[in-house]
Amino acid sequence: MQNKTKTTPLYDWHKQNHANMFNFSNYEMPLWYPSGAKLEHLAVLTNAGLFDTSHMAVLMITGTDAFSLLQTCYTRDLRGCIGKNKTPLEPGKCIYGAFLTEQGQVIDDALVYQLSADTYMTVINSGMGDKMCRHLREHIGTGDALINDFTDKIGKIDIQGPMTAKILLKILADPQNILSDMGYFTFKGHFDETSECGRTVQIVDGPRILLSRTGYTGEFGFEIFVSANDLVNIWEKLLAAGRDLGLIPCGLAARDSLRAGAVLPLSNKDIGLWPFINNPWTCALPYDDKGTGFTKTFVGSSALSNIKEPEYTYPFVGFDLRKVSSCKNPAVLDSKKNEIGMVLTCVSDMSIGRDGDRIFSISSPDRPKDFRPKGLCCGFVKVKKQLDFGQIVELKDTRRKIKVMITEQIRPDRTSWSPISERM
Amino acid sequence: MKEINELILPDDLLYSTDHEWLGSEGDNSRIGISDYAQDQLGAIVYVELPEVGDHLEKGEEFGIVESTKAVAELYMPVSGEIVSVNHDLEDAPELVNQGTYGDGWIIEIELDDPGQLEVLMSKDEYTNMLKGM
Repeated sequence: MQNKTKTTPLYDWHKQNHANMFNFSNYEMPLWYPSGAKLEHLAVLTNAGLFDTSHMAVLMITGTDAFSLLQTCYTRDLRGCIGKNKTPLEPGKCIYGAFLTEQGQVIDDALVYQLSADTYMTVINSGMGDKMCRHLREHIGTGDALINDFTDKIGKIDIQGPMTAKILLKILADPQNILSDMGYFTFKGHFDETSECGRTVQIVDGPRILLSRTGYTGEFGFEIFVSANDLVNIWEKLLAAGRDLGLIPCGLAARDSLRAGAVLPLSNKDIGLWPFINNPWTCALPYDDKGTGFTKTFVGSSALSNIKEPEYTYPFVGFDLRKVSSCKNPAVLDSKKNEIGMVLTCVSDMSIGRDGDRIFSISSPDRPKDFRPKGLCCGFVKVKKQLDFGQIVELKDTRRKIKVMITEQIRPDRTSWSPISERM
Repeated sequence: MKEINELILPDDLLYSTDHEWLGSEGDNSRIGISDYAQDQLGAIVYVELPEVGDHLEKGEEFGIVESTKAVAELYMPVSGEIVSVNHDLEDAPELVNQGTYGDGWIIEIELDDPGQLEVLMSKDEYTNMLKGM
């Protein structure tokens, strides 16, 4: 039976502001606002964009065995996953990884936040709360770990783009202290006012928040977790504070094209019920220093180590913005016109274009003078044989063939890692 | 997304089940996509046009409009010869969003058979079709 369609606390705001709404994983969500998906995408590279991402599910995992549960189920080795030196996960840091089946297939990708030695938060995709709760509980055994679904209790706003630190400076209490040392994949504060760390990050004359220097656009920015009751208030405060800095609300269409250009997968589309290996996201697996074995065993690791018929997922980028239609089961053809695989994502990143052999974005520091890109099609293919970066393949749907290049990166000069000191 | 009563649907145009509009342009007919179609597609970033001189039958594909996410085919609402295409859309596909009945027109055709116009819908008929979707 189809569940009743869900909405976020911002649903009325979206409707009043003429968002084009659509059903995404059983949530009524904004696809774009009147400014349109192209301008919303560009705003995140030039100024800032505000996304309602409250549809995403949030689970809290607590108890003395929370750590060992994640070590069993999550693809990252929490004992050595931070930075080049692979230091342990610690309170205030978060990491990207995935939860797999015993067959090594993706249940969902997820961020895991360590709030304290015995408290972790995981952010997964919309509609995945119940399934992930069941999956984790199956692996608790006699251990001391509780899984609580916080999805309906909290809201999430992503504020992304080069101006976001300047906007947060205007609405956070004690902003310099809060922001000045926030590196990528760190967080501060808590949405639960009773929590010890809930005292650290507060909106001026407003509630406490969990502020995370993350996002899913590839650009500099933050994710803000708040009590669901405070979501509309904070959304409006952010928009007011950001108006003169070019902040606009953005829908999920812009989020999709931004994440594709940043080589980030969409769960159930680019990763899914096939082995989570031989893809651009191997940093989410706990490879040892040799890159051949894993530093721990986890649910799915044995299957990943024994792949009989490997498939390979690669990013691609086109030579203009034309796409193949994803609803026409587009195929991938090699230079001999043999069908070698399928297209997972195919979108247009409107912020990039080619100049000679190079791709620039509208925010590339060394972009050509008067650079006005017309956009490039990009996305991911899954193929039966290994390909080289730079290799040309054809994507074919029922009506057109387009040549695209297999690549390691798509949109250049992304800002997600850039030091916060450059943005304040 | 626009509500049906917010859609701009001029009285003097005809509409197809594939959400194209057709209007008189001298002896010929201009064709574009309806306000409903441009609203559903969102920001249009590319329009593929046919060649002038092409002859296409009713129901044949004459072009494509693309948003950042979607690719939508355009089908001939009636048979005819392409006598003009809107080259402005090559550099400014957003004209379809900004004024689909004006600068956002797509092709101009010489009708094979004016009798084919009878299968197209009036504004009221098209509005009723949208209400039933």
